[in-house]
Amino acid sequence: MWRRWSDLDRMFQAMDMLQDRMNWFVPEYGRRRAIPAWDSAQSGFKANLYDAGDYLEMKAEVPGIAKDDLSVKVQGNYLEISGVRKSDAPEGYTAHRVERGTAAFTRSFTLPSDIDTSKAEAKMANGLITLTLPKSEAAKPKQITINEGS
Amino acid sequence: MSDTKELVKREESLPERSREIPAVAPLVDIYENDDENLLHVDMPGVDKKDLTVNIDNGRLALGGVRKLETSGATQWEEFGDVEFQRTFSVPQTIDAEKIDAELKDGVLRLHLPKSEAAKPRQIEIKAA
Repeated sequence: MWRRWSDLDRMFQAMDMLQDRMNWFVPEYGRRRAIPAWDSAQSGFKANLYDAGDYLEMKAEVPGIAKDDLSVKVQGNYLEISGVRKSDAPEGYTAHRVERGTAAFTRSFTLPSDIDTSKAEAKMANGLITLTLPKSEAAKPKQITINEGS
Repeated sequence: MSDTKELVKREESLPERSREIPAVAPLVDIYENDDENLLHVDMPGVDKKDLTVNIDNGRLALGGVRKLETSGATQWEEFGDVEFQRTFSVPQTIDAEKIDAELKDGVLRLHLPKSEAAKPRQIEIKAA
């Protein structure tokens, strides 16, 4: 039994070694690749959410979308981002290749905490939208002072 | 058995394999008219200073690095730091001196004007 176990172990080690060798020649092998956001099969956009204690921060990819073509709605812990990606094909040109799709999209999120909607902000830069969503007072983390027992 | 393990470890710790940012091909639209070729490239989050456009010997290489500035703990992340890379073969008739690139809202618009000799010319037919 012991002998068989070590055979198995040796086999796995050989496989690990093979993978290492493969990585040596092809460093990208086995690494998760980022998928382009505007894939025809995917009608949404990619978004990240960060929690900074007092506020939530959301970043989303919205390349080529004008400020006026985007709308952001917040209510309680519900967030909705919708917009239209219009065609920017120039007039009088022949198209050889069109990979960038055009579509209307909506995506809604349930945020991990309630938002103080009056203080929510959004700004766009380089095709990314950044939302700063301050948490409502009740949802903010509070420091609790420890009282010394008598 | 322990000897083989050490051998494997040594290979793993070599410093050449430290590149972390994944490389991705950006989405591209290609248009052409009589005067120029025009490329629209999606590069969300790439700053002007992190963008490179190189043309050399009929090869056009686009590159852009996206570094996200974030604050706080990640709740979920669908995109991250990325290096956009894509190379095209372009005809030698492109006038490399007059290439014009603009970056707006995360979209790169690259104008590649054709040289005068490559433009189609209307030939006037004279009556005999």
